[in-house]
Amino acid sequence: MTASVLAAGVLEDTIRAFFQGLPIGAGFALVAMSFVLTYKTSGVFNLAFGAQAFISAATYFELHVRRDWPIWSAVLVAVVLVAPVLGLLLERLIFRHVHASSAVAKLVISLGLLVALPELFKLIVDYNREQPFGAVGIIPDGATVYRLFGRYPVTRDEIAAFVIVVAAALALAALFRYTRLGLRIRAVVQSPRMTELNGVNADWVSSGSWMLSSFFAGLAGVLLVPTTSSLGTVLEPTGYFPIVISALAAAALGRLVSLPAALFGGLLLGVVTTQMRTHVPRDNVILAELQGPALPYVMLFAIIVFWPAIRRQVAGADPLLGVSPPPPALAATSRSRGMTIYTRIMALAFFTAVGIWTFGYANNFWISRITHSVIFSIIFLSIVVFTGLGGQIALCQVTFAAIGAFGAMQFAQRWDISVIVGMLAGAAIAAAVGAVLSIPVMRLGGIWLAIATLAFALFFHDVLVKYSWVGGSLFHGRGVPRPEFLGVDFSSRENFLILCIAVLVLVGVLVILIRESSTGMALRALRGSEIAAESIGVISWRSRVVVFSVSAGIAAIGGGLLAMEERLVGYEANFDPQTGLFWLVIVVVLGARTVEGGVQAGVAFVIFPELVLHRWLGLDGAWRYVLFGFAAISFARHPEGLLEHGKRRSQAMMQRMFTRRQPAMAAAGPPATTAADEGDEP
Amino acid sequence: MSLLTADGVTKRFAGITAVDDVHIALEEGERVGLIGPNGAGKTTLFNCLLGLLRPEAGSVSFDGQNITRLSVYRRARLGIGRTFQRVELFSGSSVRDHLLFALRIRSGTGALWKDVIGLGLPKPSEIERCDALLDSLGLGGMGDEPIEALSLGQSRLVEVARALMTQPRVVLLDEPSSGLDRAETTALAETLARIQSEQGFGLLLVEHDVELVASFTERTYVLDFGRLITSGATSEVMRDPEVRAAYLGDSVAGAQ
Repeated sequence: MTASVLAAGVLEDTIRAFFQGLPIGAGFALVAMSFVLTYKTSGVFNLAFGAQAFISAATYFELHVRRDWPIWSAVLVAVVLVAPVLGLLLERLIFRHVHASSAVAKLVISLGLLVALPELFKLIVDYNREQPFGAVGIIPDGATVYRLFGRYPVTRDEIAAFVIVVAAALALAALFRYTRLGLRIRAVVQSPRMTELNGVNADWVSSGSWMLSSFFAGLAGVLLVPTTSSLGTVLEPTGYFPIVISALAAAALGRLVSLPAALFGGLLLGVVTTQMRTHVPRDNVILAELQGPALPYVMLFAIIVFWPAIRRQVAGADPLLGVSPPPPALAATSRSRGMTIYTRIMALAFFTAVGIWTFGYANNFWISRITHSVIFSIIFLSIVVFTGLGGQIALCQVTFAAIGAFGAMQFAQRWDISVIVGMLAGAAIAAAVGAVLSIPVMRLGGIWLAIATLAFALFFHDVLVKYSWVGGSLFHGRGVPRPEFLGVDFSSRENFLILCIAVLVLVGVLVILIRESSTGMALRALRGSEIAAESIGVISWRSRVVVFSVSAGIAAIGGGLLAMEERLVGYEANFDPQTGLFWLVIVVVLGARTVEGGVQAGVAFVIFPELVLHRWLGLDGAWRYVLFGFAAISFARHPEGLLEHGKRRSQAMMQRMFTRRQPAMAAAGPPATTAADEGDEP
Repeated sequence: MSLLTADGVTKRFAGITAVDDVHIALEEGERVGLIGPNGAGKTTLFNCLLGLLRPEAGSVSFDGQNITRLSVYRRARLGIGRTFQRVELFSGSSVRDHLLFALRIRSGTGALWKDVIGLGLPKPSEIERCDALLDSLGLGGMGDEPIEALSLGQSRLVEVARALMTQPRVVLLDEPSSGLDRAETTALAETLARIQSEQGFGLLLVEHDVELVASFTERTYVLDFGRLITSGATSEVMRDPEVRAAYLGDSVAGAQ
């Protein structure tokens, strides 16, 4: 008797959760279909959909809430006008020109856009002039509750979301089946080149599919306003991250190529989410997390690692080898002796001048900025190791840096152990975490590795940081002292800067040693050809574990130093996963292959917005996201980095200047002319 | 006891038996050919020997040790070198780097702590060894060239040199003549023969090019439809009518 009542209760809960899950899944499905659409037609794994969805939602917000436009006209402009035009612009101006680049290069561009687009939008409409509170959904009285079959509650928003998504999916299916554009998209997906040979303009098809997918993203953006802003009611780009992640998981179920799989995957994940919330007991901490914020990340990670279709699809994709011809040798290796000496003297003079200014004349503000740029150089060396040496892209360096910072904090707070020891312990923990993380994701290459590590970073951000044994407790705060060891007190600004420079030099030398010796050779061999590397005895899994943990350890050391410099762990300001995306973008844009590249990126990250943007140009510091975000486009053409590219060009130019004179002399022209030529030279 | 043996190796793909109960053996210092028409199972057998595929039945052993279940890199470290049919080089590295990688990975365990204290850097003597081998292969002075600048024939030599730097006791060559013209093939064969007689490693040549096999090897195995149809001294195998029928085609066999 009681058992059957219980069973009926469970059944009712299950059905209720099912109806609640469908609308959530509909949102996932919409974004997932956008992913599939652009990935199929242009090979772009467009993480910027999060940004596109945000822009449509924010346009709608701006027009309807702030300027009192009626809902229908605001939606019309935001979804039917802004979204497709944005998609068209992205395709025409950017992605069309990188058609032949590797999937990873395109991923980096989309990361740049993910960082740049929302900031650009905010700057243009002056979005932050007042806090973007009070977002409302596009359905009037959306929170009105109806009862399905008399007992299962659903809101008007949910019904509308589900109906609109199903209608959109049906319309898409009809488009593919019955229209010329649909037929052409299907053909282009099969083989762009063959389709072009048949007289179809593949570019035009690609534009069409980008407009379509952008429209979907925009639609998802406004539909999901009630979902993303229900808690904080602040309409910010980060609100779209969990949805994009879930949508990625849905798209991954169909290996990014099947639209029906993306649709059903999205709905399935939505239903799974609500079923978990209903049925998984809450008394266990881990199970409780799994029902809430952790779920999308765990799902995405699990799907990428365990879904057999993806394991089979894995292809080695070195971001630095994506273009043909392969990246040229470093400028430093092809430099002549004279040039090398000249470069070294110039560098020495430069650093001496900066040093004299810093320690003699700079005020506290600039000393702190310079310390920051030294510390970020250290952190960015971890990207040099992972991407420059290892040849792969990871998006969780920010997490490792946070582990180092929290390590320093925890050891100092709990056990009163020297903060230096704490930082090193944090680095050891980060290295261990990196090694453990590397085992499941090692077999993945290219974009899947990037996505899996992003899922890990977001998991840390949304789940682990909240635990007091990770992120500290509110009671103790996140204070971190400056170190004192070997009888030297590093609490003054100058002394601490000296310590940071010493660590940077140590880490830089370490990176060079690793690059030039056996480990680096094994990594370069693996990047070149995994099968050939194994044929000469390279143990691929071990090299991968090593590169993961070394890079994690370096990031953690930098993170620890940053916490000491700021005297607290500024987690939200410094170690947000979205900040991590920007880290990666700025390092690969400037040059991920050399230690200098990492240092230049560190300086550019800290000094550039302050000095160039703020002081000289009088611009908002947020322009750095826009500038470097868009600069990511250059990665497709110059995967070795802009600075390395510039160095090689100027070097080639100077060498041409030098050699032009020599053949003239060798050609045994009249001696008088030669003498006159030389006389001209001061 | 032979150096490298395949004992009853069988490999099936979805019901198709690509290699069927094949026995082959290779002695140290010997030059052996493995021929057969397209689809005969040469490459499958080759991959079973190297560890890229696991045979369903039979075993592979090296120097008396059963290596059937060892990974590719373990076999490489035991002393089995190889080249690739479609050239597999480390793009972005110089010619000398290819040799240096192989030498260092073979000689050092590549422990991270050694790298960190500076013991992992290449020594001048190692660079000299690489250059000496490049010289003797006729690639002297090309050490600093980027690998992309080389012709296909030179690339194949670099592959051979890379395999040799691991000090192998056996080198397996996968169709070294593919993509090369007659003159290039002859030059490659001459260089290979010279190096092989100098260094005395065993050599298994999987080939398509009958002339190369005839001129180069002492013994030959012939595969057809996954089975070993004959084996023996190369000169005798080449005269075997069954081989001519299976491999060269009846018309050629009839014409002579």
